[in-house]
Amino acid sequence: MNGNEIVGSEFAEVAVSVDTTANGPRLRLEDRRTGRVRHLDALELEALVWLPDGHLSRLLDPSADRWREDAGS
Amino acid sequence: MTATLPETAHQQTDKADKYARLIQPTRVHGSLYTDPEVFAEELERIWYRTWVYVGHESEVRRPGDYVRKNIGPQDVVMTRDRDGEVHLLLNRCAHRGNLVCDAPSGNSNSFRCPYHGWTYRNNGDLLGYPYNKGYGGKGKLALGLGRLPRVASYQGFVFGSFASDGPTLTEHLGAAAGELDRLARLSPEGEVELTAGWLKHRTRANWKLLAENETDGYHPQFVHGSIFSVTGSPIGALYSDNSTAVTRDLGGGHSENDLRPEFRRFGEPMRWFGTTEDRVPQYVARMRELHGPAAEEILVEGSPHVMIFPNLFIAEIQLFVIQPLAAGECVQHATAIQLKGAPELNRRMVSQCVGSAGPAGMLLADDTEMYERNQRGVALREPEWVDIRRGVDRERTDDNGFRIGTATDETGMRGFWSHYRNLMEA
Amino acid sequence: MTAPATTDDTALDLRQVEQFLYREARYADEHDYDAWEALWTDDALYWVPAGAPDGDPVQQMSVISDNRSRIATRLGQLRTGKRYAQSPPSHLRRIVSNVEILDDDDAAGPGRVPGDLTVGANFVLVESRERGKEIWAGRTTYRLRLVEGRLRLAYKKVVLVDHDRALPTLSFLI
Repeated sequence: MNGNEIVGSEFAEVAVSVDTTANGPRLRLEDRRTGRVRHLDALELEALVWLPDGHLSRLLDPSADRWREDAGS
Repeated sequence: MTATLPETAHQQTDKADKYARLIQPTRVHGSLYTDPEVFAEELERIWYRTWVYVGHESEVRRPGDYVRKNIGPQDVVMTRDRDGEVHLLLNRCAHRGNLVCDAPSGNSNSFRCPYHGWTYRNNGDLLGYPYNKGYGGKGKLALGLGRLPRVASYQGFVFGSFASDGPTLTEHLGAAAGELDRLARLSPEGEVELTAGWLKHRTRANWKLLAENETDGYHPQFVHGSIFSVTGSPIGALYSDNSTAVTRDLGGGHSENDLRPEFRRFGEPMRWFGTTEDRVPQYVARMRELHGPAAEEILVEGSPHVMIFPNLFIAEIQLFVIQPLAAGECVQHATAIQLKGAPELNRRMVSQCVGSAGPAGMLLADDTEMYERNQRGVALREPEWVDIRRGVDRERTDDNGFRIGTATDETGMRGFWSHYRNLMEA
Repeated sequence: MTAPATTDDTALDLRQVEQFLYREARYADEHDYDAWEALWTDDALYWVPAGAPDGDPVQQMSVISDNRSRIATRLGQLRTGKRYAQSPPSHLRRIVSNVEILDDDDAAGPGRVPGDLTVGANFVLVESRERGKEIWAGRTTYRLRLVEGRLRLAYKKVVLVDHDRALPTLSFLI
């Protein structure tokens, strides 16, 4: 595991590090408010870099994924 | 509808009469500083209508940057979106009115209200809300954060207006724009930065006492005599009867104490900054390299001393923003001017500004004491009026058509009140 | 309870330190500018931050950021009797408490000299003026130095609980 930086604002707080325990490096993201962890590999990160801004905004809609009536938790 | 029209017109006339009675060419009524009704009308007719200074572009340099600002009692968030555009948003969730931003500044391209999770883009658009079936699905609400309909900047100084139409910022600034140019040209890179942080000074006085004092060249020898005597400061002489400096009504309520005649008389670079060129050699060399012979004029004339109506005051090396909160209460926000590409000057400006401004400032704390005593004084019954006649009979018009008085005359105050009356009667 | 794990030396130090802090507070409360000024060393720094309590006083605005020379200027202005914000002087009384000798040397600013003692304390202060009454409170970090057998003040940082709010005029010695 390399480094453990916090990217935080008044709205969210995410711990960021590069995880080297797998066969290749991955970005490890931890939502500090819930403890939920997501790993992103190089190809996934590249996809994020290329994501159009509008698409990213749609992901930020609270009802898009996280807070939906029909979401399994 | 027809029945209400004459009444409205009647009220208008009443209002015009009221301010014509209270504001006369050489005196203004004490109630203008104390009456809560006047304050409420000022909010509507001045602060929520004309261009008001809000912040500086250097405070939101990167996309996603935001900073909490204000217009009077209104909590405003200044943001920069991904396209680089600066927005002035009201910090109020469209759902139940909760404050959306709590931090004084930060970086976020979207804001999520902590109350129910409503989420906004940093241009104010509503981006979504949790569990959207309760609203019939996604994108069903034509809501967003409140925003100032007009935002414009000049030399990086961001102004906002709550009125959808009216004079442009350039029209509002008029000749005062030239003072901002004069300030910016002191930077080797032509840019002012407000990055030194702010002092916030709570003042139990009406905001207009501050605006008037900023243009008052009559008081320094008295109010600031204590510090001038201890430091041997030459500032007092700039505001004496022998001074060649002038007070200029720039129109639009703006005014300046033009000290250039004094500085030109001495012709010494950096005298305006209270120093000599050998103390800031890199800066002076860089300016000469950039401007050639024209540098001398810039280095001799220095920075402006200008009050930009209604709330921005630049005093050479420091900048003040006046935030009115009630008839008898306001906050002075103060920071040191920083000039991009001039580190030698910037540190000195922070040091000098810390020494003079803010709650413990060796100059401004005494001004503030006067504002607060003044506020108690104008509430007394007699003699009712505040006198603004000084120099009215020796005022003249300069080559550019502006009214000017001597260094200690109340020409700037009369300009302030004339514009104020126009706005309040409108 | 066993006996406190402090040596007699440390106990003596703390008592001396407290006496020094109380004296400094009394000089400030009573506007004894000469006695207060005499407490300072030549490399003095008297700092009241604004906004972020750990900002850089060279690059960021402070409520007060006085070196020894500016302390002299500030007191000189007060002595004229025409420092209107402090004329007439405020009536002041402060309580200094929670005094601790700290080993965190970073907390006591630049220019530390070997042997300097870092001390932390809290205070509450009531200021009464015609304008009204103000309650000031905060945390003070002192750096003390023994000079020719007498304690002197090299550094005083006062972080007000209101450091990031709009403050009324603060023209007395805090």
